[in-house]
Amino acid sequence: MKFRAKIVDTACLNHFTRVSNMIAKLAKTCTLRISPDKLNFILSDKVANGGVSMWCELEQENFFSEFQMEGVSAENNEIYLELTSENLSRALKTAQNARALKIKLTNKHFPCLTVSIELLSVSNSSRIVTHDIPVRVIPRKLWKDLREPTVPDADVSIYLPVLKTMKSIVEKMKNISNHLIIEANLNGELNLKIETELVCVTTHFKDLGNPPSASEDASQDRNPGQMAEVRIDIRRLLQFLAGQQVNPTKAVCNIVSNKIVHFDLLHEDVSLQYFIPAFS
Amino acid sequence: MNDNDSTSSNLNCKLGMKSILPIFRCLNSLERNVEKCKIFTRSDKCKVVIEFLCRHGIRRTHNVCFQESQPLQVIFEKNMCSNTLVIQPRVLAEAIVLFTSSQEEVTLAVTPLSVCLKSSSDEPVDVTSSVYSEMFVGPDEFDFFQIGVDSEITFCFKELKGILTFSEATHAPIAIHFDFPGKPMALSIDDMLLEANFILATLADEPSRASSPQSLCLSPKQKRSEPLSSNSEAGKNVTSKAPECILRKVAPKRLYPKETLTDVSALENCGSPIMKRANGDRSEVSESSVSDTEEVPGSPYLRKFSCMFFGAVSSNRQERFNHPFDGLATASDSEEDMNDGSFSTF
Repeated sequence: MKFRAKIVDTACLNHFTRVSNMIAKLAKTCTLRISPDKLNFILSDKVANGGVSMWCELEQENFFSEFQMEGVSAENNEIYLELTSENLSRALKTAQNARALKIKLTNKHFPCLTVSIELLSVSNSSRIVTHDIPVRVIPRKLWKDLREPTVPDADVSIYLPVLKTMKSIVEKMKNISNHLIIEANLNGELNLKIETELVCVTTHFKDLGNPPSASEDASQDRNPGQMAEVRIDIRRLLQFLAGQQVNPTKAVCNIVSNKIVHFDLLHEDVSLQYFIPAFS
Repeated sequence: MNDNDSTSSNLNCKLGMKSILPIFRCLNSLERNVEKCKIFTRSDKCKVVIEFLCRHGIRRTHNVCFQESQPLQVIFEKNMCSNTLVIQPRVLAEAIVLFTSSQEEVTLAVTPLSVCLKSSSDEPVDVTSSVYSEMFVGPDEFDFFQIGVDSEITFCFKELKGILTFSEATHAPIAIHFDFPGKPMALSIDDMLLEANFILATLADEPSRASSPQSLCLSPKQKRSEPLSSNSEAGKNVTSKAPECILRKVAPKRLYPKETLTDVSALENCGSPIMKRANGDRSEVSESSVSDTEEVPGSPYLRKFSCMFFGAVSSNRQERFNHPFDGLATASDSEEDMNDGSFSTF
């Protein structure tokens, strides 16, 4: 197994750092999947995560000037590594004004992802910073749990409002209730509702727009005013929203009534899918 | 250092940080409102009085109780170290960012060609979380670079962070003096206003380092609780030994003479939080020696002992500064060390 990659462009480096920061906010531990064309950050839906799962994908050629990998075997030309997300984001943080950044898979007593940064200091001399991030190589038999999740057939798909606004609202709602109902319809209306014994609070978003539906029949059968709703753990939603530092290029929310809510975001060229199951 | 008490000797006392910090906390409001600050002692009441003479005739007085103390003396000739590096605090600060706060120790490895700051490899490695980081800095980034012997020293990261925070206030370069592992290292800041020396213990290589860590850690603490009795004993023992190895005469720092008022205003403007000099008054900030030991109960590894010495701001009273370490008793444990002159287990 081999992996070496290099970033020399500052904009690419900053973008990669932002992605890494976002992942660090969304998942404490995640899986990094390396394949010849892509890098994926994966969180599989385990009970420990509250059933939340995440799939983040980026095309390697949009970031790396050099990229070489050799997977486990020729037929399975992939590498799955488990790492603590914060370690990577912190290492990248020191690469703010780097001249070059190299990442490679190494084995220094234990497998590591070595991030090597060449900084240009004020006195014009190079400073080399190295971080060895310990990783765990995930054996092939566990790869089936880490496959790309299938996008469910949503009852309603809707574009999300400005995430920062959503986040500040959900933050306040968290103080009142642990569960939140997210509902939307095909008229571009989205509601966030919390209900307790004493109080009900609903925030209404209007005129959001709905993406063109995949299957024509489903959208025609459905009454556009009818809301599809899911009751979810408010902290999971807040964690998802907190991870979005920048408003995405595109943000779609797909709701499967009483089952799952699926967020499909696009940050420039990085796609992020986040699934929050209904609270059972 | 009362005006009336011109013949009094040095007062070595301790003031609680929790008492002092709130008094000087709000720098902006101090700069806006305070015209003069007088600091003097009332020996009859064991109090240090800090008086702010503010605008509009307002006078704010803080009485802080002090405890007499005989701080520990560190025998360490930093100029005799084979390795000396002088670096801007900003560069060190950039290196510090690499390490997490969970890191207890860092290692500084030097050769005549390069300097490397890295995570200490002595710590037990927790595979899932600890990242090993290292940063190489070229010799040309240092204001002064003298490496006599290749060396790798390991010392407490938290102390380094603290020292850096302190040095950022002065903007003066930090000088690092060290030799081989086990021997203490010194970090000094030599500014126009003050001279500060931080002496840190470094991790020794040999396995026999676990000799007497506990006693060394605990005895200074004991000293703090009973300053007068134990120190007077130590004092007696000290004088029976050859005095020249105990007392280090540091050349007095002659700073701004009383007449140049412009310097005072420069002091005030640069916002130094440490010294405010009373204009035309002979009161001064007495030098304080703070010994700060961290107890590491049961740890066989590093005896963390750090000691900080301030050189005080100017005054006319030169005689006070001739023997800044006078009257400082040595830690009773180090008396054995003094015999052979070595300092490796301090």
